Amino acid sequence: MSSQRALDIAVLQRELARAGYIAEPSLAAALLLMRDLARPLLLEGDAGVGKTEVAKVLAEINRTRLIRLQCYEGLDAHAAMYEWNYQRQLLAIKLLEHDGQAGAKDLAQREQDIFSERYLLKRPLLEAISGERPPVLLIDEIDRADAAFEAYLLELLSDFQITIPELGTVRATSRPLVVITSNGTRELSDALRRRCLYQYIDYPDYEKELAIVRQKAPEAEAKLAQQIVAFVQGVRRMELQKKPGIAETLDWTAALLRMGISTIDINGAERIMDTLSALIKTRDDRVAFPREVVARLAAAS
Amino acid sequence: MGAAPQLRAADRLGRFPGFLRANGFGIAGGDAVQALRAAERTGVLDQSVLRWSLKALLCRRGDEWRRFDELFDAWFLPANRWQRPERREAADGAQSDAHPGGSREGEKADDEDLRPRRAASREEVLSSADFSALAEREHALEIEALMRRLARQLKHIRLRREARARRGRRLDLPGTIRRSVASGGTPIHLLWRNQRSERPRLVLLIDVSRSMVLYSFFYLRLARALANELDDVHSFIFHTRVTAVSQALHDSDPWRAQERLHLIAQGWAGGTRIGESLAQFNREHAPRVVHGRTAVLILSDGYDTGEPQQLSDALAQLRRRARRLVWINPLSNRPGYAPTCQGMQAAMPHLDLLAPGGDLASLRSVLPNLIETLH
Repeated sequence: MSSQRALDIAVLQRELARAGYIAEPSLAAALLLMRDLARPLLLEGDAGVGKTEVAKVLAEINRTRLIRLQCYEGLDAHAAMYEWNYQRQLLAIKLLEHDGQAGAKDLAQREQDIFSERYLLKRPLLEAISGERPPVLLIDEIDRADAAFEAYLLELLSDFQITIPELGTVRATSRPLVVITSNGTRELSDALRRRCLYQYIDYPDYEKELAIVRQKAPEAEAKLAQQIVAFVQGVRRMELQKKPGIAETLDWTAALLRMGISTIDINGAERIMDTLSALIKTRDDRVAFPREVVARLAAAS
Repeated sequence: MGAAPQLRAADRLGRFPGFLRANGFGIAGGDAVQALRAAERTGVLDQSVLRWSLKALLCRRGDEWRRFDELFDAWFLPANRWQRPERREAADGAQSDAHPGGSREGEKADDEDLRPRRAASREEVLSSADFSALAEREHALEIEALMRRLARQLKHIRLRREARARRGRRLDLPGTIRRSVASGGTPIHLLWRNQRSERPRLVLLIDVSRSMVLYSFFYLRLARALANELDDVHSFIFHTRVTAVSQALHDSDPWRAQERLHLIAQGWAGGTRIGESLAQFNREHAPRVVHGRTAVLILSDGYDTGEPQQLSDALAQLRRRARRLVWINPLSNRPGYAPTCQGMQAAMPHLDLLAPGGDLASLRSVLPNLIETLH
């Protein structure tokens, strides 16, 4: 039996596909829930499976802005929310001094001028809640930020307001769609997980990856695309430090096309070796790829 | 037909979170109710829509995500299919009830008010039980949860310390004034003094030789929990050689991590050569991973088949490099233990601390103090 919801999911999937993202139905279902419940979506998965892409395409189909906050170790509230523009403030003070007619305006008024929005530098989080249209807010690689920042973020995500001591509380004029990604280098707090919808993105299976390659690299012929995907899927099954993601598959496809390789087979193993740098990114993994292994994979694809 | 099966279906849905919890999911009761309400609004009659919605709402992490579909099938598919896993579970429970501590999974999903109390007393039992007596898989899971909690406590100590240290960003006054000359004496560009902060670091050296087999299993779990919570933990295992295992421990998939470790540890044979292993560690790894704020923890029973002199030399060298050198010996809280074996005799003069580590309670008494001293 298909319900209204199932139709919605199918429609959203098609919209996403048109915008260039092949999504599992479960992801489409989560995106719909995210809209219904106004809750952030937490995406986990290995690097290179297209987590960041979700936010980009979400902004595209909603025809809204994407505001991105890239997390890093030591990211603090100032870099993420707001900062005063000290230079301009000091300059303004200096100008006021030179103005001569001190006392014309009372002191309180002047102070208020200096701590007004004109001197406020908006950083991504403040920007995301103070626009007119709700944007998509991408908080990328939250596992890189410190736990203290995570707590700070939680507060914002529950109240959608930011308190600036000198200015007062800024309430959200629009609630952004929040997408949070994590590579799992650090365990996230339970509180954050509780607040989010969850989606684990795995490496794509054969059909999905083939669809992606066909879409993003239409100049590769059907036969070659199939071989490429089969090869990459074979590579992923090996014990590697860094498995190739979708971006690597596309890079490699481009490299093969550039080299004029039109088919992957055992005879071309030598030339395939030359292009592997687009697919295998660490030295240790490269060592695990002697000619014989490449030939075996090529024969199997 | 009509109302009756509908009611049963709703009932079934309502008890699904309890079923997930019984299978180790972390979702709390209140959240589950909210999640179900949200899922109901998307429609409960379409099985795949319900699956996708519940998956997004009830999963919290990758391993739950991977197990969800199977559990969903077990719970919602027609009776003859879902009853099987449930019964198997009950049988498991009955079996392990024979062991001390009993089984949680054997309980029915309904008697929830009973569970917390039992869990609390279980925790006491588990934390004072010697690791070597805990062979059951479910014990391992619970110990793992307790270790994660210990690691989280340690993180809080560290965060508190760091917050204290961070307070007070300091202005570089001479620099600011020098820069202000260009703007007529107005300090437009403020310069800040860089804070030198060196995070404390833990290095774990885990003995995985045969005599340690009952303990190293837990120590590896401890290493994994610590690595997940504190960001500067480096783990090595040794036997006759030293191997870095931080990467394997960091594998986001716990099962795969375990498998990788198993493979790493498996390939070795022969006696324990602690001295040689430590000397190798000093040569190959110490320059990179051991700095002035590092605590090196050696987790071993001290049964060494190598030269005592070599062990002594290696430890002396390590001691000079590290801030703290701690030996955690799983046997030393046994009554009547004295560090008489050759290895321990050679090691004693160089250690800051010889601590027992046979059970969780003793680890809990050592680690927090250690972290405090590093700052």
